Amino acid sequence: MRHSPSPRWMEQGSGGFVHAILHRLQAVLFLLFATLAALPPAAAADFATVRPDVALSFPRDLGAHPAFRTEWWYVTGWITDETGSDRGFQVTFFRVRTGIGERSASRFAPTQLVLAHAAIADPAAGRLQHGERAERALPPLAGAEEGRTRAWIRDWLLEWDGTRYRARASTDAFSFELDFVPGDAPLLNGRGGFSRKAPDPRHASHYYSRPQLNVDGTLTLDGRRHVVRGSAWLDHEWSSELMPERANGWDWIGINLHEGGSLMAFRMRDGDGQPMWTALTFVEKGHIRRGEGQDAVRFVPLRVWRSPRTGAAYPVEWRLELPPAEPGERTRQLRLVPLMDDQELDSSRSTGAIYWEGAVRLLETTDDAGAGEADGVSREIGRGYLEMTGYANRPRM
Amino acid sequence: MLRIHSLIKTLPGKPPRTLFDRLSLQVERGECVAIVGESGAGKSTLLNCIAGLDVADGGSIVIGAQEVCGLDDDRLARLRRAHFGFVFQAFHVLPHLSVLHNVALPLWLLRVADDEADARAQAMLERVGLGGRGADAPQVLSGGELQRVAIARALVHKPSVVLADEPTGNLDPERAAGVLGLLLEQIREGGAAGILVTHSRTAAARADRVLELRRGLLVDVGSTT
Amino acid sequence: MRSVLRRIFVASLLKRRLGSALSLLSIALGVALGLAVQIIHGAALAEFGQGVRRMSGVADLQVVGPREGFDEALYVRLAQRPEVAEASPVVEVDALVPGLSAPLRILGVDLFRVAAVEPQLLPVAEDKVGAGAGAESDRLAALRQDAVFLSAEAEASLFDDQGGVGTSAPRRLTVQSGLRLQELEVAGKLPGARARIGVMDIAAAQDSFDRAGLLTRIDLRLAAGVTPGQALAALTPLLPAGVVLRTVDEAATEAANLSRAYRVNLNMLAAIALLTGGFLVFSAQWLAVVRRRREFAVLRALGLERGQLVRGLLAEGATLGCAGGLLGVALGHGLAALAFRFAGADLGAGFFQGVVPALHFDPLSSTAYLLLGIAAGVGGTWAPAREAARVVPARALHAAGLPASAGGSGQGRTFAALAVLAAAVAASLLPAVGGIPVGGYASVVLILAAAILALPPLAMLASRLLAAGRWPVWRLVRARFVASPQQVVVAAAGVVASVALASAMAIMVNSFRLSVDDWLTQVLPADLYLRASSASASGYLDDAALQRIRALPGVAGVDAVRAINLRLDADSTPVTLLARPVAQGWGLPLVDGTRTPAHDARRPPAWISEAIADARALKPGDRLDLPIAGALHAFTVAGIWRDYARQHGAVVIERADYVALSGDGRINDISLRLADVGDGDRVASALRELFGSDRVEIARPGEIRAVTLQIFDRTFLITYLMEAVAVAIGLFGIATTFAAQAATRKGEFGMLRHLGFTRRDVGRLLALEGSLACLMGVLAGLLGGGGVSVVLVEVINRQSFHWSMDYAVPWRALGLFALGLVVLAGVVARLAGAHAMRRSAVLVVKEDW
Repeated sequence: MRHSPSPRWMEQGSGGFVHAILHRLQAVLFLLFATLAALPPAAAADFATVRPDVALSFPRDLGAHPAFRTEWWYVTGWITDETGSDRGFQVTFFRVRTGIGERSASRFAPTQLVLAHAAIADPAAGRLQHGERAERALPPLAGAEEGRTRAWIRDWLLEWDGTRYRARASTDAFSFELDFVPGDAPLLNGRGGFSRKAPDPRHASHYYSRPQLNVDGTLTLDGRRHVVRGSAWLDHEWSSELMPERANGWDWIGINLHEGGSLMAFRMRDGDGQPMWTALTFVEKGHIRRGEGQDAVRFVPLRVWRSPRTGAAYPVEWRLELPPAEPGERTRQLRLVPLMDDQELDSSRSTGAIYWEGAVRLLETTDDAGAGEADGVSREIGRGYLEMTGYANRPRM
Repeated sequence: MLRIHSLIKTLPGKPPRTLFDRLSLQVERGECVAIVGESGAGKSTLLNCIAGLDVADGGSIVIGAQEVCGLDDDRLARLRRAHFGFVFQAFHVLPHLSVLHNVALPLWLLRVADDEADARAQAMLERVGLGGRGADAPQVLSGGELQRVAIARALVHKPSVVLADEPTGNLDPERAAGVLGLLLEQIREGGAAGILVTHSRTAAARADRVLELRRGLLVDVGSTT
Repeated sequence: MRSVLRRIFVASLLKRRLGSALSLLSIALGVALGLAVQIIHGAALAEFGQGVRRMSGVADLQVVGPREGFDEALYVRLAQRPEVAEASPVVEVDALVPGLSAPLRILGVDLFRVAAVEPQLLPVAEDKVGAGAGAESDRLAALRQDAVFLSAEAEASLFDDQGGVGTSAPRRLTVQSGLRLQELEVAGKLPGARARIGVMDIAAAQDSFDRAGLLTRIDLRLAAGVTPGQALAALTPLLPAGVVLRTVDEAATEAANLSRAYRVNLNMLAAIALLTGGFLVFSAQWLAVVRRRREFAVLRALGLERGQLVRGLLAEGATLGCAGGLLGVALGHGLAALAFRFAGADLGAGFFQGVVPALHFDPLSSTAYLLLGIAAGVGGTWAPAREAARVVPARALHAAGLPASAGGSGQGRTFAALAVLAAAVAASLLPAVGGIPVGGYASVVLILAAAILALPPLAMLASRLLAAGRWPVWRLVRARFVASPQQVVVAAAGVVASVALASAMAIMVNSFRLSVDDWLTQVLPADLYLRASSASASGYLDDAALQRIRALPGVAGVDAVRAINLRLDADSTPVTLLARPVAQGWGLPLVDGTRTPAHDARRPPAWISEAIADARALKPGDRLDLPIAGALHAFTVAGIWRDYARQHGAVVIERADYVALSGDGRINDISLRLADVGDGDRVASALRELFGSDRVEIARPGEIRAVTLQIFDRTFLITYLMEAVAVAIGLFGIATTFAAQAATRKGEFGMLRHLGFTRRDVGRLLALEGSLACLMGVLAGLLGGGGVSVVLVEVINRQSFHWSMDYAVPWRALGLFALGLVVLAGVVARLAGAHAMRRSAVLVVKEDW
């Protein structure tokens, strides 16, 4: 589950003139993108619907699904450079079907847009660095291919070559070129990749993940080139009507476990902050556990960080409670701790979205009978990404 | 020839100044009267009234048998053309006309045929001693010569009245005497009535009568005849 | 010296108020006109250039081609080049708005690219916040295919009701493409744009205006470290024929070139107005010098040096010039403001349509024109000052009231005049320099000088010819005229210059107008014309429409014209290509070549207008390569024709050849021959019914001719105005001369009154003298004007605009003008001398000076 990108196309250093017009530009873009998911339901009739009886098939479903309104390939992960410094990274390609110009004879018809978003979470910087791009799909300049993963905007790229993914992104502040090698076949979320987002089954997506990607590549940051390795996670999700009207935001995690498993969990919140729907895909020791419903997983806030810029309060530390899979089992309690507190991404001047998206560690408290978790010894069992939306404003997709 | 009777002229102002107070004057053919007086006494105004260039408040001026007062501008102009000759202190010879044509100018106005006009002008020039200068431009003439041209112009059309306003004022005494002599001679020979306005007692003394304009009246201060 | 300067010289200007005022005013007018032309065009050009730059945003290079567009594949190719950091494709369309005479320029842009290259074109959607749930759908406004965003200028010109924001229903705008009407919704504004434009999504623009697959412009930002020169070298080989790559500055220069010839022409007119003002200063100062001879003699006698006298007089002239110049600068800005308000930036000539310039104080031009004004004042005083310095004081003191007749040797002047005339002829034979007929302008100045030099000999000649009438007034006038032709020169110098200018312009305009009229007859032989839009705008017809028209009852024949615009090479302005039947079609006003050349399938015939023939030195039989549909095609020049409609040139080819080469079957104009000419109204209404009255324009040749001539006349409106000013200044010369003379000649008039002149006689004398002086000036001016007009027609117009025309003199109008001027001069002279005829003036016979 991703918020829409913030296409602040122009990175720093493009000159004072460009900065002067940035305000206006962002105002336009706000109007343009902020509503991609907010088209009235009537318009959705033209979009393909997500249906539970459609089975995913690979490699076909690695590629784009232009009949659906929204689609993304989302890669997050932890990378470690030659000095041992840990950083988080994220690169996302969105494909959006606008419903505009579908009968147009023009090659420029804006029926499909491609948007991309890249970010680096570097504790040394103390906050996120990020960049965006957006284009109408216009091969060979920008597009999202069907049949295999390949989405690109000029030199930004996410591509599957049959054995590995390759991602490339560059901004004025950083650039990276990373290869991701998956260990396993795509991991389907929900029921066979049909992932519900709300009690109403209309609100669903086709959704698979590729956890435990081995990362290998280079990161150039502040003009310094680093050779990096690490572990990443890819989500590919497409839908036409994802977010219910009543929903106000969501919390999502994708964690690679050190011992080879993975944990995906999310919850959709309503206006009161109460969970409307939750879901879980938990792979541990070769065993896959999936859950969907009002109470498939519980997110309990532990520590709140308040953004000095927006004033939004984010629960940057969480306790995750996994209910017993079978009667008699104990509720499993896990803890999420951020790589750094300030991983807020404020794009209120462009897409309007203000959200928190950052690298987190997953800790498990050692099982001491009778002892409270606070007293127990915590052990890091995985690393991944946490996304929290709807704390500053309601996200639009 | 010239009869002025009870001429009245008052200059406006506070208080009004009486210039002529029932002034009367009679000048006969061939007679030359000199009028003297202080500056501002009205000598030139008197000449202008006679010539119809200024209007009196009352009285009459008769030239021959023609009453001057009350005529309109055009008739006055015609009257001047036929009956008056003028000599000015500043000569007023037209620079763009030859000497001969300057003299012939009054004859042009009287529509005298060109040949006759030139002949009469030439004759007149000879009488003032400039017979050989007719073709010259006025610029090459001296002051005395210019005034003689002016005298010739004043008399060429045989006017009934010749009015001369300080005719020697711009000339040195030696030349002045000669020019004045010439003027008086020509007036007398032409049988005109001459009025000479002057400051100079010497000049005035050469006229037939000398009158002084004093307090609006002409007072006889001596005559040479 | 300073107090002498102030009390004697400059104070003298105040004493002769009328003369000083008129001199000052004439300098002011000359300066004002020149400066106004400068400011107006400067502002328009700057605005146009800025507009081009602003439109181009931060682009380093621009790819431009024919206005109809080039293949969009070029964009994809260029966008992938390493030299290019950002490429932004643009489709420019002059959209016809039914009911509006001026099309609206709509730019189709890629919103995702425009921000990086042309941020000024970024649209801002109308603020719908708080307008309710329905507003949600407006959020994608920027991409919506029926959305158009308007600049403030465009909105003001399209909607006269400036309703409150958000209160009115969304504004709709109907545009025409081909014969189709399309409704667009005004979705927001273009806060950064400062021209009358609209912006749409590029796909929407391509679709709405049938420009699928075509772009008209690509703006490029180069990658860091790539110079424009490197990029030009690397990218130019990728361009198809007829498409060029240029820097943004070159685009702005193109606009300047467009109007340069017109501007130079106007500036020349202003210069002549200023020159006339200089002559007026000359007249006034000359008279003043003559009048003040004794004053100067006294001053010299008191110890004033000759040089001081000259300097003093020159200071007078400079003071006049400076005051006039300052007034002129103020007036010029005022005139420019008025012109902006009422006539537009191009003074009605149509070069800068849609440009809204703002009036700025222009310190550089203002200073330059102020200096010109001072130069006119000093120049006008130069000769009189030298004359004054030459006078021997003793003589001046002595020879009271009889200034030396200042006539020079007539023969010497004649020779001088002839020599200058010979130089004028030589100058007129020089070729143009950079498109500006420098030799022609030099020739004009020399002819004017010759005309003024010819004035004294002409006066002498005339004096000999004047019948010796017996009327004394006439004799005096004639005597004075013969004796001192210099007086005539003084009075009439200004008249010569202004009459020469006015008559030359009148002859040129008359020749031009008759030629245009004649040309219209030739190019409009049909009975009825149907047009969807002009060459560049979005309306057009097609062969189907042609067939339908042909089938209408009463239509005997139809011919179709396609007009597009193309670039013959990278550094020339676009020319018009007209594809139409020639051999069996309508008339082509050929000046060379033939309409029916021998058939050659490999090199089809092309008929070029004089502008192209001149610019490329082409003659019938030569080869001409035309970039049509992205490729060069060889044509043979079959003929050269006269075209007054397109200054930068036009090429006519057979429509069949064009369609075969381009596949473009669109039609801009259709000419109809009717079976019965009287049937026009019925056929016209049938056509309206066929296509919809708001989609096509139907015109009869008579209407087209009337409109064309109306535009023609409007174009020359400004020149008429300037002529009128120049003539008025010339008459001022007569007025100042006689006003000044009235003072010096009081004695003379007084004496004449004594001799029996009536007051009216004196008035007649003055009027006659004024008329006669003016007549001489008019004669010299007409002679000079005749010469200048030949130079204008044969050299200046030919070299500036590449227009040939048939020389035709408007004898009647010129005769009336001359007569009117002579009569007017008499009236002016008499009025100016009025106070010399006042009664009291009789008393001045007593005065010395």
